[in-house]
Amino acid sequence: MESNRRQFLKTTAAGLAMAAFSPLIKAGDPANGKAAIGEDSWAKAFQQSLEANPWLSGYKTASQNQYGGTAKIQGRWPKALTGTLYRNGPAQHEIGGVRYHHYFDGDGMLHAYRFSAEGVKHQAKIVETRKYKMEQEAGRVMYPTFGTMPNNPSPVTSPDLMNVANISVLPHHGKLMALWEAGSPWEVDAESLDTVGRYSFSSEMEGVPFAAHPRVEPDGTLWNFGYLSSANLLVLWHIDANGKMVKAGKISSDPISMPHDFVVTRKHIVLMMPPLNYQKSNELTPFLDNHKWEPDQATRILVVDKNDFSQYRWLELPSQWVFHFGNAWEDEAGVIRFDGARAEDPSIMTQHFRSLMRGEKLPSHPTFHHQYRIDTNNWTISEAPLLASDVHSEFPVIDPRVSTKQYHRIVMMTSRSSSPAIHGNLNEVSSFDFESGKLSTYRYPDTQIPEEHLFIPSPDSALETEGWVVGTAHDWQDQTTVLNVFDISAVEAGPIAVATLPYSMPLGLHGKFVQS
Amino acid sequence: MTRLLQIVLLMAVSVPSWAETLTVVIENIETAEGYIMLRVMHGKGEFKGEREALTSIKQRAIKGPMTFSVSNLPAGEYAIQVMHDENDNGKLDSNFIGIPSEPWAFSNNATGSMGPPAWDDMKFQLSGSITQSIQLNH
Repeated sequence: MESNRRQFLKTTAAGLAMAAFSPLIKAGDPANGKAAIGEDSWAKAFQQSLEANPWLSGYKTASQNQYGGTAKIQGRWPKALTGTLYRNGPAQHEIGGVRYHHYFDGDGMLHAYRFSAEGVKHQAKIVETRKYKMEQEAGRVMYPTFGTMPNNPSPVTSPDLMNVANISVLPHHGKLMALWEAGSPWEVDAESLDTVGRYSFSSEMEGVPFAAHPRVEPDGTLWNFGYLSSANLLVLWHIDANGKMVKAGKISSDPISMPHDFVVTRKHIVLMMPPLNYQKSNELTPFLDNHKWEPDQATRILVVDKNDFSQYRWLELPSQWVFHFGNAWEDEAGVIRFDGARAEDPSIMTQHFRSLMRGEKLPSHPTFHHQYRIDTNNWTISEAPLLASDVHSEFPVIDPRVSTKQYHRIVMMTSRSSSPAIHGNLNEVSSFDFESGKLSTYRYPDTQIPEEHLFIPSPDSALETEGWVVGTAHDWQDQTTVLNVFDISAVEAGPIAVATLPYSMPLGLHGKFVQS
Repeated sequence: MTRLLQIVLLMAVSVPSWAETLTVVIENIETAEGYIMLRVMHGKGEFKGEREALTSIKQRAIKGPMTFSVSNLPAGEYAIQVMHDENDNGKLDSNFIGIPSEPWAFSNNATGSMGPPAWDDMKFQLSGSITQSIQLNH
C-alpha cells in the first residue's frame, strides 16, 4: 500500500508536468464571445428567409434522427453498378430550438445508398458521438462547436468533445468511420449504421486529431494528418491496409493554420497551410473565430518524405485558400503535380457558410481549379489555372484506383460565372480529361442543388475512361433527394438513371463508394 | 495538579486545530475499472512538488459517484487532484500529443490552458466541513 502511495505521488507529479493537454476552450460566461448564441434569433431568421427562398430547405435541420426508404428508379440502372454509396454531412443544425451559427456545426448524419438487383435503398442515421449523446440528454448545446459558442459552455478539454463526425466517411480494413475535421474517427456499423463508438488505431493515438480527407493508396495504405492549431502542432499518420499503425509523426511550426485536405504521391506528402492563423484569445470565441486571415502572408506548402516524417521542407505560394484537392502524382524525374479548387480567401467558410444558417447569402470568392507543380530537384513550386476563366469548381474526385498515381480525369462540381443558378450554389457536374483538355458538363435544373459526385469505376474495366459518375441532389421544389448516374464518358448527355427518394435529406458533404 | 492543568490548557491553545473535514464527491466515474486516485494538497508547495501531498487516497473505482472523506485536517488552503487510473498502471496516461487519455480533474473543476490549471484556480479554504463536487474530464 505504501509503495502504491509513493508511486501515485511520483506519477501524478510527473503527470502534472508532462500532460501538456490543451483545453481548447475554458468554461465560463460567454458574454464577451463574438458568436455566443444568446437569445436565438437565428432559427427565426432562417425560417423567415426560407419562406422567400425555398431552396434554403437543404439547410433545414433533420426532422428525424434516422431515415429509411426505397427509391423510385427511372432510366436504365447499369447492371454492374452494385454496392453502397456512403455519405456524411451536418444534419442536426438545431438543438432545443437553438440554431447553430455555422453550417459545419451540425451533428453528422451518415447515409447509405445501397445499389442492388432489387433497386436502390436508402438509410440514414445520426452519428451518436459523445457530444451528441450528452446534448440530447441535456436538451441543449453544451459544448462549443466549430463556429458557435453556446451559452454557459462546458469546458472543452479534448478535441473530441467538439467532434460531431460530420464531414466525410472512411471505409477501411472492414470498418466504416465517420470523420470530422480535427478529432477521432467515429466507428459506425456498415450494415445497421448504428454508432459503435470512438475509434482508435492504437492506444497511443487515442484521441489524436485525424482529419477528414485521408488518402488511401490502391493497396490500402492510408495516410492522413491531424492538427491542433492552438498548440501549433501537426500530426502525420501512416496506417497499413489492415488498419495497423505503421508510424506517426509530429511537426511543430508557428503557425500551423487550418489545413483541410492534402495530397500524397509515391514519395511525398504535400500539405497547404493558408494564412488563416490561430490567434490566442482570452475571450470565449468559437474555434473558427480564433483564426485570422492574413492575406499579406504566403500560403505555405509543406512537403514531407513519406518514409521519414522528420524530413520535410516548406515552400511558398501567394496567399490563397484551398479546401479540396483532387489527386497528386510524382514522375520519375521528381516532379509532383496536383490539382485543387483555389479561392482568393476563405470567405466561403468564414462568411458564406455562417450567413447561410440565418438564411442570408453573403458573396464569397469563387474557386478556380488550379494545377500545382513542385520540382523536387530544385524545390520550386508553381501554379496555373486548369480550366477556362469562367468555370468555378469544387469537390474534385478521381478514380480511387489511381489515388497517388498519374491520373487522367477529374470529376468535380462546377458552375459558370456567366449563368449562376437561382440558389447560387455549384449547379453542374463535370468530368475533366487532362489529355484532351475537355470539360464535359451537365447542368442541373435550378430546382435541384447537387452535392459531391463520385467517380465509380466500372468493375469490368481497368481504364479511367469506363465507369460512372454518381451523385445526389436536393430537389427543393419536390422536397426529395435524387441520386443520378452518369456515364463517365458522356456526362453532358445527362443522367442515364435517376433514383428518387420519397423524402429529402439535408445537404451534406463527402462520400465514398464500396463495391459489393 | 493545578500546574499540570495549566500545561494541558496551554497545549490545547497552542496546538493548531486538526479538526476540519473535507468531503470529495467524484460525480461521474464511467467504469469500474482500475483505481480512483486523489491527491489532497495543503498549500502551493505540495502542488509544485516541493514536498509530498498531505494525503493521498487510492481506491478501487466504482461506476457512478464516489465519495471520499478526510477528517482531522488542519485548516488552510487546499487543492485536490483526481485521476482515474483505469488500466492500473499507476500513472495518468496521455496520448501521442500529450492529451490525457484517462479521466482527470482538479478541485473547483478547474481546467488549464496548455497544461494543468493554475493554483489560484484550484485552491479553496478549508474551515469546518467542506464538500468539493468534482466532475472528471473524460
